[in-house]
Amino acid sequence: MQSPGRRSVVDVAFQGTLRADPAAASRARTLTKLRLTDNAFRQITRAAAVGVLLILGGVIFSLFEGALPAFRAFGVNFLVQESWNPVTEKFGAFAPIYGTIMTSFIAMAIAVPLGLLIALFLTELCPLWLRRPIGIAIELLAGIPSIIYGIWGLFVFAPFLQQYVQPALIDIFGHVPVLSSLFAGPPYGIGVLTAGLILAIMVLPFITSVSRDVFEAVPPVLKEAAYGLGCTTWEVVRYVVLPYTRVGVIGGIMLGLGRALGETMAVTFVIGNAHRVSSSLIAPGTTISATIANEFTEAVGDLYTSSLIALGFLLFVITFIVLAAARYLLARIERRIG
Amino acid sequence: MDLYARRRLRNRIVMVLSYAATGVGLGWLALILGTLVFEGASGLSLKVFTEMTPPPGADGGLLNPIVGSLIMTAIAVAIGTPVGILAGTYMAEYGRYSKLAHVVRFINDILLSAPSIVIGLFVYELMVAPMGHFSGIAGAVALAVLVIPVVVRTTEDMLSLVPKELREAATALGMPLAYVIGKVSYRAARAGIITGILLAIARISGETAPILFTALNNQFFSTNLNAPMASLPAVIFQFALSPYHDWQKLAWTGALIITMAVLALSITARMLASSRKMS
Amino acid sequence: MSTSMAAVHGSSPVPVVAHAADTAVAMEEKVTVRSLNFYYGGNRALKDINVSLYAKRVTAFIGPSGCGKSTLLRVLNRVYDLYPHQRAEGEVMLDGENILAPAQDLNLLRARVGMVFQKPTPFPMSIYENIAFGVRLYERAGKADLDMRVEQALRRAALWDEVKDKLGANGLSLSGGQQQRLCIARTVAVKPEVILLDEPCSALDPISTAKIEGLIDELKDDYTIAIVTHNMQQAARCSDFTAFMYLGELVEYGTTSKMFTTPTDRRTQDYITGRFG
Repeated sequence: MQSPGRRSVVDVAFQGTLRADPAAASRARTLTKLRLTDNAFRQITRAAAVGVLLILGGVIFSLFEGALPAFRAFGVNFLVQESWNPVTEKFGAFAPIYGTIMTSFIAMAIAVPLGLLIALFLTELCPLWLRRPIGIAIELLAGIPSIIYGIWGLFVFAPFLQQYVQPALIDIFGHVPVLSSLFAGPPYGIGVLTAGLILAIMVLPFITSVSRDVFEAVPPVLKEAAYGLGCTTWEVVRYVVLPYTRVGVIGGIMLGLGRALGETMAVTFVIGNAHRVSSSLIAPGTTISATIANEFTEAVGDLYTSSLIALGFLLFVITFIVLAAARYLLARIERRIG
Repeated sequence: MDLYARRRLRNRIVMVLSYAATGVGLGWLALILGTLVFEGASGLSLKVFTEMTPPPGADGGLLNPIVGSLIMTAIAVAIGTPVGILAGTYMAEYGRYSKLAHVVRFINDILLSAPSIVIGLFVYELMVAPMGHFSGIAGAVALAVLVIPVVVRTTEDMLSLVPKELREAATALGMPLAYVIGKVSYRAARAGIITGILLAIARISGETAPILFTALNNQFFSTNLNAPMASLPAVIFQFALSPYHDWQKLAWTGALIITMAVLALSITARMLASSRKMS
Repeated sequence: MSTSMAAVHGSSPVPVVAHAADTAVAMEEKVTVRSLNFYYGGNRALKDINVSLYAKRVTAFIGPSGCGKSTLLRVLNRVYDLYPHQRAEGEVMLDGENILAPAQDLNLLRARVGMVFQKPTPFPMSIYENIAFGVRLYERAGKADLDMRVEQALRRAALWDEVKDKLGANGLSLSGGQQQRLCIARTVAVKPEVILLDEPCSALDPISTAKIEGLIDELKDDYTIAIVTHNMQQAARCSDFTAFMYLGELVEYGTTSKMFTTPTDRRTQDYITGRFG
């Protein structure tokens, strides 16, 4: 493909015969037109690709610009200040940050073992004809919009927790020295624990599919060698499959973590929206995305709005790092398999 | 054989746990879908599709949010799909091994999973703040930003699957790359690209966060893109968190409608993908 | 070694074998296969196989590609059990017990019958761990014991001198031949009774192959060995008995010297002389 302005052999050949042959002349014109169209198309697609980069740049830039007033006003203190007071215009991100980390932690603590176990089931135990249907069902879980999880959590799950589970937890751990503070306080049903549990269900399909895909890529002869030594299924998975697929599994986990950190609607419904940091898991709290979702449209005053945007900026930075690490790890696996 | 018995016990425990985990996962799905159908189906009626959202205590439907969602989704797809296909084409064809494609691929994958609320903030800063008011078009743009990464990824993947023999044969005829792409590659990857578009639509259908502060919400029927526009997710958000029983009922019905749409799109996309594989 | 055993098509009488020390020793049958049929789905891959592996002897299975020799080997430790569409019918007696019985404990079977595969398969762990892992499955051993077992196994596999200074290195960092010897070390570390070798040298260079063939000769002092190979010269070098298989059938079976000098069946002769392959 020649860039316009550089003459190719074809050009010279055609130019040479231009005067002599009208058919060649029209062919030359057609080829030139084709080349121009090709170049134009090339530039357009390139521009679109650059556009994707511009989107990311735009997001980072506009968020940073919007957050600047808040950063200037509060400095690094923004990150550790718990109070969030629109009246006195004192804003601190500690409670949302804590809530985001706590709910994601609970979600991962439940979803990772569950997801790995389901992947184990799908690759080693499940009868062949059931594998596709169950795999599809798990993926359906991923497709349900998060707002559905939100209202389900609010109207079904939270009342259930409030009536049965949380009182039981308070009873069981009430007298255990350290753990009782984890389950202290009245059972509202909503709160950090509930949000964490809902997030766990949302993140589960991601961890399951990535894990299942990497488990299936283990060379069968390696597993046969382990079985040949007399290993049980669990031993094969623990000593051969998991070490072999370690990088991919971690990539999948980080992908799930990235989603959990940024999840908004499911959490907003059930977290209770209280700008408080509490040691109790059943107390209400807030996350970064829940705070923004709840308060943005009613934020009055530039500092308030800017603080909310600052929260968004923090969230973006955190998820960017997690997702970048996940993609890097998964790319390494893809290169090894493919 | 004490050691052996222990090993077998450990194995048995893990196997039981795997079965249990799968049961739990499938159980959640059944529970959520079941509740959704149970609560939402009873509210389904023609009224839902023909009447506007009511004030609390009155009767009504979901006409304006449904229409609003349809409009914004259509515009988002109209904006996002061409950009996505073009960018994906560049990465799969012209710039396949270039540094730019490498970087864009990485960035695109991150945008794919980025928190959608952040995208909403971005469009707020970009359009709502300068314009001074919320608008349906801002909502559509926010959704478009969510559509683009999905379409880029599927387009690139699908075009990469086109066998190189096909491309080489076309080039050997003297066709420049643009025509090879247009007449050969696109046609071969067509089903896959459409699948990508369907998946993108499914993705944005349930998105609430980016709409919350771009298109806001609208109690009345409006197709004015320059004004706040109602959408199903935003209405569900508002109604579900309210203390009014009929509003909550409408919220469930709206949730059921969205879920049905998303499931239908996913199933169609999946059928398209597998029929392509068989052909 | 002389024997009066004739080519076997059906039953296998217990032969009397004269040793170099001129004492007649009755050879015991370690593994006896009776009327074995094997199916991949609806496709019958092994047809009515009857063969015996004699204790502390090497039996080689030769034949053209697709004749079923690897399939037969994989029945002996029931590794085919991992795949739902594969099934075996008939009897395989290990020391008098039928290992094809549903009640047979598979893990225990595989503790007694070890297998080395065509492609070297070191586990994703250190060299030391690759071997210690197997030992730990079956015995509670302290560190000193484990060290000793690991060294013993590596010496048995003629690998000790080459790796004794880098026991902590990853198993995958070894060369192909070394990896295969590591797999052999791993297999003998769990003290099996029978060792199955499925084309162990086909992925290796001639020097590694020679080393492993030497190993086989030493290992047969303690283990019953079955080796599948597509290399006839290897079978002639290493084995005491040879079985020729063709299209899922066991065509002929006898001592190696007889099989390669005066085979009874026409097909055996054609294969050995290279008329088809």
